[in-house]
Amino acid sequence: MTTVVDVNRTLGPLPHDDVPSRDEAGLVAELERLRIDTACVVHSHAVHGDPRDGNDPLAHVGDPRLRPVPVLVPGPLGTGPWAGGAPLVRLCPRRHGWSLSGPHAHRLLAELAAHGTAVLLAWDEVTSGEVHRLAAAGPAPRVVLTGTGYRALRELAELLETHPSLYVDTSTLCGHRQVEWVAGRYGAHRVLFGTGAPVTDDAGPRYLLDTLDLPAADAALIAGGNALRLLDGAP
Amino acid sequence: MSPAGRTAMDVIDAHGHIGRWSAFAVPDGSAESLVAMMDRCGVATACVSHLLAVGPDARAGNALLLEALEAHPGRLLGWAVYQPHDPQAPERLRDLLDVPGVIGVKLHPEVHETALDDRAYTPAFEAAAGRRRLVLAHSQHGSPWSDARHFAAVSPRHPGVPLLMGHAGLFPEGLRPAMEAADRCPDLVLETCGSRMTARHLVRMVAGIGAGRVAFGSDAVFLDLRTGLGRVLLAGLPEADREQVLHGTMDTLLKGIV
Repeated sequence: MTTVVDVNRTLGPLPHDDVPSRDEAGLVAELERLRIDTACVVHSHAVHGDPRDGNDPLAHVGDPRLRPVPVLVPGPLGTGPWAGGAPLVRLCPRRHGWSLSGPHAHRLLAELAAHGTAVLLAWDEVTSGEVHRLAAAGPAPRVVLTGTGYRALRELAELLETHPSLYVDTSTLCGHRQVEWVAGRYGAHRVLFGTGAPVTDDAGPRYLLDTLDLPAADAALIAGGNALRLLDGAP
Repeated sequence: MSPAGRTAMDVIDAHGHIGRWSAFAVPDGSAESLVAMMDRCGVATACVSHLLAVGPDARAGNALLLEALEAHPGRLLGWAVYQPHDPQAPERLRDLLDVPGVIGVKLHPEVHETALDDRAYTPAFEAAAGRRRLVLAHSQHGSPWSDARHFAAVSPRHPGVPLLMGHAGLFPEGLRPAMEAADRCPDLVLETCGSRMTARHLVRMVAGIGAGRVAFGSDAVFLDLRTGLGRVLLAGLPEADREQVLHGTMDTLLKGIV
């Protein structure tokens, strides 16, 4: 049985919609309904509220199927130096108003790389040029680009081709056969199942996972194998 | 493969395309690639326009559409694109609507920069009415060309002509105005495709206006057929409503046309 890991999910209420995942019970019910074994979750307070205290609710997550993903902010008004403690974190530079290319970010990224911590980075939070600079700098953490969308395939291809430390999630990789194209060209080990739910749809990406036109071993990597490797801190 | 337990291959995709597009890469936009994906997912029929026709050249794109319909009879049905800036568009559309497999007219107010309730589209609606065909139009919440208010303005002018609101407003915040327009206009049908649509919003749409006013569409090969289809298959819908959305609504609309 293939393990399914949603690497890109939010727990907690949203300001612009009523969502079943406003609490832990609702989120777990959604995961069960869609046969998703594990979800890597940021808390909405950290994304849409203040990230300095918005990660606190993650400490109260009880269900072992939910893997907490803190949201980090660099600098003296940020979430503090990174001392490890989670294998995966999220950065939201545009939303939280800081520069991915500044010295504070450089220090945080070096800390993340040193701890083997991987990063979720949404496509609408950065420019492709910023991603190039981040990935080219040393040391750089592994970065999963989320929400790249179907329109960004040319830019995404250039990034994946240039930087082996970059990965992509399936949340909005929803152009015709785009998941197969990326996996075929850059390897299934570069693609992770992620939904972006509840902001973006979970049902569509989940069904796509069941109907991938790829060898079973590659589909299993995308479904959960790659995410489990990242969460274990393995290279 | 069993799409969420379904065994029947009866799904009708109301909104699809073949071809490629300017703003981004479609690695394979061929009709063959689309039909192969339909086979993979249990989709019997896709109603498509050619993206060249939606974009710069309706005449050439519509000609390519006819070739695809001929190559895949029964699997592909056609939306002929109406280009409101082409002086020959009315007569060309009438000819196209007489071709077997062409089920109606596709309007794209956004690309053509002409509001859906502009009189430039009147010949298209009249041709559809005269041949008992359908109209599919792109919608986009907040747009000066294709907001729900434009649908609510134009639909009552052409009673009896089924008007599919492609994308049902496109953005989540457009869903409520789309439903309100459908509530006011009996010939409006909301179509489900779009990268911002979620299963949660689909359930609200069906609960709000009834499954008989909702038709599944994927926007393939612009988008992946599977993400749109999975949204319907895995939504928390009663089974009867799911079947209605997947094919029942279009079955009714296509009766007498194919």
